Formats: sequence, C-alpha cells, structure tokens
Amino acid sequence: MALPESQFGFPSVLARTADAESEAACSETETEVIQLFDEYRSRLLRYVLSIGLTAAHGEEIVQDVFLALFRHLRLGRPKDNLRGWIFRVAHNLALKTRMNEQTRPDRVEFNEIVAAAQVDPQPNPEQQLASGQRQSRLMATMRALPERDQYCLHLRAEGLRYREIAEILEMSLGAVSISLSRSLARLERADRG
Amino acid sequence: MRDHENHLSDEDLLLVVDGELSGSRAKQVEEHLAECWDCRARKQRLEKTISDLVESRHAEFDSQVQPSAGARALLKANMAQIAAEPAVPQKASVRVFRSGRVRRTVMVALAAAAVVAFIVGGVERVRIQNSAVYAEGPLEPRPTLTPGAVRAISAAEVCAVSNEEHQQVLVIPASVKEEVFREYGMSAARPQNFEVDFLITPELGGSNDIRNLWPEPYRAPVWNARVKDQLEDRLRDMVCRGEIDLSTAQRDISADWILAYKKYFHTDRPL
Repeated sequence: MALPESQFGFPSVLARTADAESEAACSETETEVIQLFDEYRSRLLRYVLSIGLTAAHGEEIVQDVFLALFRHLRLGRPKDNLRGWIFRVAHNLALKTRMNEQTRPDRVEFNEIVAAAQVDPQPNPEQQLASGQRQSRLMATMRALPERDQYCLHLRAEGLRYREIAEILEMSLGAVSISLSRSLARLERADRG
Repeated sequence: MRDHENHLSDEDLLLVVDGELSGSRAKQVEEHLAECWDCRARKQRLEKTISDLVESRHAEFDSQVQPSAGARALLKANMAQIAAEPAVPQKASVRVFRSGRVRRTVMVALAAAAVVAFIVGGVERVRIQNSAVYAEGPLEPRPTLTPGAVRAISAAEVCAVSNEEHQQVLVIPASVKEEVFREYGMSAARPQNFEVDFLITPELGGSNDIRNLWPEPYRAPVWNARVKDQLEDRLRDMVCRGEIDLSTAQRDISADWILAYKKYFHTDRPL
C-alpha cells in the first residue's frame, strides 16, 4: 500500500488501550447486561408504551436503563432484585420524559402523543373484526383508571411480583393488592358491558 | 372474606390467583374455593379478565416493539465506550446517563430503531440486502480500533491542495479494507453496505493507516457520512482561515466527530 514515509500515528493518549484485567471484568458485566437486555427489553418497552410514551422515547429510555445498569454493575453495586431495579429506573425515566414533553411548548400536546402511540400502524382487519371492539373498550377503561392503578396493572402484566411493584411505585404491599383488585373489577364490569 | 356469606373477597381471589398468599392463608382460600362454586366462578371471571387484558395489551403495543438487533448492537457499542472510561462512582445514576454523549447515542438508537422499522415496513425499496448485518455494524468508530492517524503535514500544506487531490493521494487498498472489516468482526458483512471511511479526513491531514479507517454504514440514519462531510468542510475552512489549529481539528474529529459537529455547528442535530 502506498503509505507516505512521513506518516505517523496519533499520540498514545488518543490510542486508548484498556488494561487486560479490567477489560475481562467489563466483558463479563457486558455479557450480563446483554442477557438482561434480551430478557427484559420487550417487557420494558411495552410498559413504557403502556404508560403513554412513544416508541421513540421508549427505545431511548431502554438504552438509558441498560447503560445505567452497566454502570451500576461496574461499580459493584448490589445485584439482588435487578428486575425490580430495571423497572424502577425505567418507570422514573418514563415519568420524567413525559413531564418534559408536557412542558415543552413546541411539542404537540401530550394527549396527542398518547393517541399517536395508541394507533396501530398496521391494523390487521381480521383481528379488528374478531376482538378489536372489546379490546379497545378494555383499553379505554384502563386508560380511565387512576394513573397509579394503571402503573400497577401494567407492571403486573409484565410479570412483576407485588413486592417488586410496591418497591417501584413506593407503595405498601396492601395498597398494590387493593389497586390491582379494584382495577380488575372495573375492567371486568367494562368487559361485560 | 366477603361479608355475610363468608365468600372470598376480590382481593383474596386475586392474591390466590397470583400466588401471593402465604401458607396457611393460601390453604384456607383453596379449601373455600373447593367447596364454593360461587367463588370459583368469580375466580374464573377474574382469570378471563386477566387474559383479555393481556391480549389487549399485546394487540396494542407489540406492533410498536421493533426487533432488537440494532438496539442491542448500539448498547454493546455504548458499553464498550463506557468501559474505556475510568470507573468513578457517580452521585445519581439517573443524572449520569443523561450526559451529552449518551444523549447522542440515544438519538442514534432511535434512528437505528427507525431504520429497522423502515426496513421491516418496506415503505421504500431500500437496497439493504442484509439488514441483520447492517444492524450489527458499528454506528461509530471504536476508539480502540480507530483512534485516528495523521500524516506529517502542515496547515499550509493542507490548505494548498484541493480536497479531491488529497483523496486521490490516499487510496485505500482492498487488502486494508478487508482488514478493517476483520478487526471490526464484520467479515461476513456485505461491503456494498459500508464505506471504509477515514476518521480524520485526508483534507485535514488524515492518513490511510488502518488506525484511521472504519466501516461506516452508508445509510446511518442521522449521523451519517453526509453529515460528517459537512463537518470536514467546516473544519478545513476554519483551519485555512486560521480560526483553529490543524491539530485541534484533527483531535476533535477523531475524539468524537458527532460532538465536534455539535460544537462547530452549535446544534444538537445535523443541519
């Protein structure tokens, strides 16, 4: 190849070479984070969508959550109940993002964002005919529930235990149980129409 | 328990369905359910509501959950970048990962997701023949592989020669291109989807050393080659007008070209 003789590389400051030992520890943590990402990404995204954020914000939040997790694990922080940790960070970020969106004057109204997020871009006509009406009635009822009840329900739907939900939303166990039971009763009534 | 008839409360029913009751209480409730058709029917209605809810949520949200390959690749790249930083305890995690750098990568993530949606949706016939490979490709040069490398050339020499002439001098041999793909672990990638690009452009004194080369996706959605070209032109103009040193321009574009773009164009998004 025709490299000029005078060519030189950048100083070593720019050519960063990581210490082999810490690199090994890092790659172990990376593997762990990727495993958790594979396990929880869809659930987290669905949760964030279900509490009214757009898919674009959802992707952003999920990236942030797992990068935060990576930093958390790199610093040797506790590993117990990582699932709860992941959802708690996602929940807080989602609320923060939502608040920022609401206060930005150049943005469309939050309700419009929610409405946009709730439109299926490619509705399947057969599905719609079969169960669409009932499903939309159910979802409408759910969106009419108090916010905290919605959070509880969506977290439970994504597989979280009451104890985890209580921690994420900073509620008592009893309050979680009452909230879920009350919401399901309302949904059942709506479903019967 | 449910008032006068001693039926189970809604809450008890849900707790037992969700497996949230402790030993003795669980046993009591199970026993009641065994003998009481009324409560069993209510339990079934509850489970039906739960399954309807689950279906409705999937119907409503799953279509918006895009395949994860692009997002996973991005997460890996971001972790590698963080791993290169010293592990210093941070005050509040939520604030930490809202730094400008991550902000940027998040924008790329969104763009990556958009690309996946774009490909899957088939809105336009984009000739990306192997989207999985594309998604696994680097969205940014990796500092360990591509720190940047320059020729011994002065600002005056840089400015005396046209961009085209700079490019013509520095041909990248096919063997070096292959080596770039190999070091990025992309030997299976289709070369037509990527341009082996200079991190520090030749017009700013960048060399064709492998440390200055990386596989840049042609269709990176936001921060793509076209945007980088704008930055290169701007930096060269500034160097030639004497507004910044050549070495500063080289260092800024190689350390983080997206950050450099934002700095020199005073914007968060490509113009």
